[in-house]
Amino acid sequence: MAYNANMNVADIRAGLLAGDFTAREVAEASFKRIEELDGEVHAFLELTKDAAFEQAAKIDEALANGTFDEMGPLAGVPVAFKDNMNYEGTHTTCSSLMLENYVSPYTATCVAKTIEAGGIPLGKLNMDEFAFGSSTETSAFGPTKNPWDLERVPGGSSGGSAASVAAGLACVTLGSDTGGSIRQPAAFCGIVGVKPTYGMVSRYGVVAFGSSLDQVGPFARSVRDAAAAMDAICGHDPMDCTSQYVKADFRAACEQGVEGMRIGVVPGFMNAPGLTDEVKARVSEATEALREAGAEIVEVELPHADAAISAYYVLGPCEAFSNLARFDSVRYGYCAEGHKDLGSQYEASRAAGFGMEAKRRIMLGSYLLSSGVYEKYYYPAQQVRTLITQDYQAAYEKCDVILAPTSPRTAFKFGEIGDPVEMHLSDIFTVSINIAGNGGMSVPCGLGSDTGLPVGVQLIAPQFKDENMFRAAAALEAVYGAAPIAPDFAAGKAGE
Amino acid sequence: MKKLEEVLQDWEAVIGLEIHAELTTLNTKMFCGCKLEFGADPNTHTCPICLGLPGALPVPNKAAIESIVLAGLATNCDIEKHSMFYRKNYMYPDMAKNFQTTQGPVAFCMRGHLDLEVDGAGAKERIDLDGLKPGESQGNVTATEDGYVAHVGITRIHMEEDAGKMVHIGGDEGRIAGATHSLVDYNRAGTPLIELVTEPDLRTPEEARLFMQKLRQIYLAIGISDCSMEEGSMRCDGNVSLRRRGSTGLGVKTELKNMNSFKNLHDGLAYEICRQAQVLEEGGQIYQETRHWDPSAKRTIVMRVKETADDYRLFPEPDLAPYDLTDEWIDGVRAKLPELPDQKAARYQKCFGLSAYDARHLVEHRATSNFFEKGMELAGDKASKLAKPLANLAINDITARMNADESFNLAECPLTPARAIELVELIATDAISSKQGKEVFAAVIDEDKDPSAIVDERGMKQVSDTSAIEAVVDAVIAANPDEVARYKEGNTKLIGFFVGQCMKEMRGQGNPKVINQLLAKKLNA
Repeated sequence: MAYNANMNVADIRAGLLAGDFTAREVAEASFKRIEELDGEVHAFLELTKDAAFEQAAKIDEALANGTFDEMGPLAGVPVAFKDNMNYEGTHTTCSSLMLENYVSPYTATCVAKTIEAGGIPLGKLNMDEFAFGSSTETSAFGPTKNPWDLERVPGGSSGGSAASVAAGLACVTLGSDTGGSIRQPAAFCGIVGVKPTYGMVSRYGVVAFGSSLDQVGPFARSVRDAAAAMDAICGHDPMDCTSQYVKADFRAACEQGVEGMRIGVVPGFMNAPGLTDEVKARVSEATEALREAGAEIVEVELPHADAAISAYYVLGPCEAFSNLARFDSVRYGYCAEGHKDLGSQYEASRAAGFGMEAKRRIMLGSYLLSSGVYEKYYYPAQQVRTLITQDYQAAYEKCDVILAPTSPRTAFKFGEIGDPVEMHLSDIFTVSINIAGNGGMSVPCGLGSDTGLPVGVQLIAPQFKDENMFRAAAALEAVYGAAPIAPDFAAGKAGE
Repeated sequence: MKKLEEVLQDWEAVIGLEIHAELTTLNTKMFCGCKLEFGADPNTHTCPICLGLPGALPVPNKAAIESIVLAGLATNCDIEKHSMFYRKNYMYPDMAKNFQTTQGPVAFCMRGHLDLEVDGAGAKERIDLDGLKPGESQGNVTATEDGYVAHVGITRIHMEEDAGKMVHIGGDEGRIAGATHSLVDYNRAGTPLIELVTEPDLRTPEEARLFMQKLRQIYLAIGISDCSMEEGSMRCDGNVSLRRRGSTGLGVKTELKNMNSFKNLHDGLAYEICRQAQVLEEGGQIYQETRHWDPSAKRTIVMRVKETADDYRLFPEPDLAPYDLTDEWIDGVRAKLPELPDQKAARYQKCFGLSAYDARHLVEHRATSNFFEKGMELAGDKASKLAKPLANLAINDITARMNADESFNLAECPLTPARAIELVELIATDAISSKQGKEVFAAVIDEDKDPSAIVDERGMKQVSDTSAIEAVVDAVIAANPDEVARYKEGNTKLIGFFVGQCMKEMRGQGNPKVINQLLAKKLNA
């Protein structure tokens, strides 16, 4: 069978080994689809054809030499990267005018590992500017659209990473998640999205938003594909001293089943005021599906989870304020012309280079860290962080993984949420996981009965026990099946 | 403007120091693998990390942590087992990330102290210690025979990274005023830097100078920095305020920069104390400001007025995990501590019978103390006899030579410890006079010959033979009857005249001690 966009990691591997198609054909077909369909989705900001064909040639050579088995878990798989990941020679814009012309002089560890694992790099993906947002509407280069309904947002901030996979333009992509930026777009686009435990994946080379919250993870249409990507990218990196030595085998975890596993459900989450009925219904069904698969369902409490959003909107902007200070027009990035002194050059360049949401977070962080204010916000937020972390630790004495909605609702329409605070509340079920540093992933669990749009269920693992959530995720996939490409973009649409 | 001694009669100066030292003996920068090298072509030792490129992360240099702990142990600090790095946020192009990675309220080293022995002319700056008997204490000071010891508190020593170097083009003397543009060299960016902050325990410019000098000796002894004040690898800022003698409140302080030598540190502080006194005595007000010491104009000038305290928005650096040091690790570092200058001075007193003064000055430079120790090894059983003259040679003649000639390198000098021992022995045995000794000292260095060879060549034997000298003394007395008469009338200062005449007769080879004795005996008879 010739290559087609429906194929998962295992299919591609089998096809290449069987000689059904070559890696070059995979790359060609992928770019053909992108060129024909991405105009509607706008997931890609840059294509990396030279690198893709060079990688494809290596894979085809390995196939010819019989050394293909030595290649990594993503051999021949079309991959792409969120545009906050440095990849030498490509633009790394973070979807900001500030970095519109910035070309990376080095490569992020997660990108390097994906390519070392055999991934064919297709390009760089759209996002909310500097990852500030939940809809990809804050991109300076125009929004990405949800392949399930082009009038709706794909979620964010990793909207391009999610939409490209949902539209079948890539098989596996990487995104980053600071408060829900992988899980929420995965839910909105009906695919699998993984935010590993903080420290599982190196952040080196990923442009920082909130350094203590950011984590890199994969998107895919199947749990096993995501597991293959996790096996490729996780582990200690000497360049990131917050990354840890972990021994994990995610693909093996997918085969373990959930027999005897304890799944925690948080009543406070299931009864949250903003949770829509259709999401609640699908998440409840997913819970039942796991019970039927042999898991035990237990109730757990996270008493301080309500404070997570508040803590997040203190800690995130504080770290962002400091992380974004380097974009000052002096060494690289957007520089407003015609200013005679440093101060006015800084001001004019940052005023024009940053979008509204970036400015909002910078100003918020600058205020929250100022003397006299720091003690009232930053310090209590760190205390809340400790309490939430302890909540999770206590909950995991009763269960092996926690199940919750990913997002209170399905994908919204462009412009539907104008109030930034309301937008921030769409992270209500995801931020506490970043605050505590746990792993979390969103897995599709059917379509909403009211909107007909994908609903995601979130599985939350104890720190560094991310394999637990893959066991549960694989059990759900056994019930729901792997995610399809969004109907309007089904394979064959690009004339395959 | 009044002189310092006069000002200090009415005013007490309160001085605190902030001393930065670059850890120049390390191979690599604080948070990346770039090489540490002074004077390389601009921006050749840089990488995404020290250039603060988007996405780059810091990785701490463990050797730098060891260096700061060594510094803390050598200055009697408590080593904090749990400490963190912080971000100090401010925008300036020499700091590529626009924040400096430094430490927060808890530094690696806290609550230390150094004891300063102040003596000689420098001790006179402390006018408030009159009447204090040796052994008696007042405040942080204990009087000694020839001065006092000041106990100076160290608040903390913390770790931070240095900034890059800005070069301003088009202005006067490279200053930013009038410059058309500026260049940045990031080679220095990320150099590990330790900053020591003292308590405001210092009261005179001399104490400040001695503190800096002692700290420099310690840092050199533990080998963490080349401590070049000229190249800026050791830099000192001073905070100074004045208060009326007898009052205990604190005045408004100014911060003094650019004191890049011990002399500049002393003179800059002395000037600033006098300036503040004049302003206050004229009814003026001191403003909290940063001032620049201009050594050529001999005055301080305003660099920057601080109307409000800077808000650096300090918060814990999320990219670096908190540091937890174990007792075993700290003990391991402690075991690496070499003999410190104070310990060495104590040993010299004990083993070689040197005075406290000689011992202390001998250890001021590692070069002179090494030289002294080699000489003592070579002296064998004469060591105790030759220790004092060799120490004097090292402290006076050699140190003067080092101060006069920057390129003078004692380790490679023709005056080897063996020749020095030979020289001091010639003097000690009265073979040559101490005056001749100075001539031989210079000749050994200039001509690269043994002292005995120079003495032979120049026929510089000292005549100590009493009968030979007696003949000369008698002749001089006989030839100067007028002077003899005036001497006998009570003008005893004329003894110098007679000694000079005898020396002249003997072409400088007479033993002055013997000449003096014989003259006194005969004139007083």
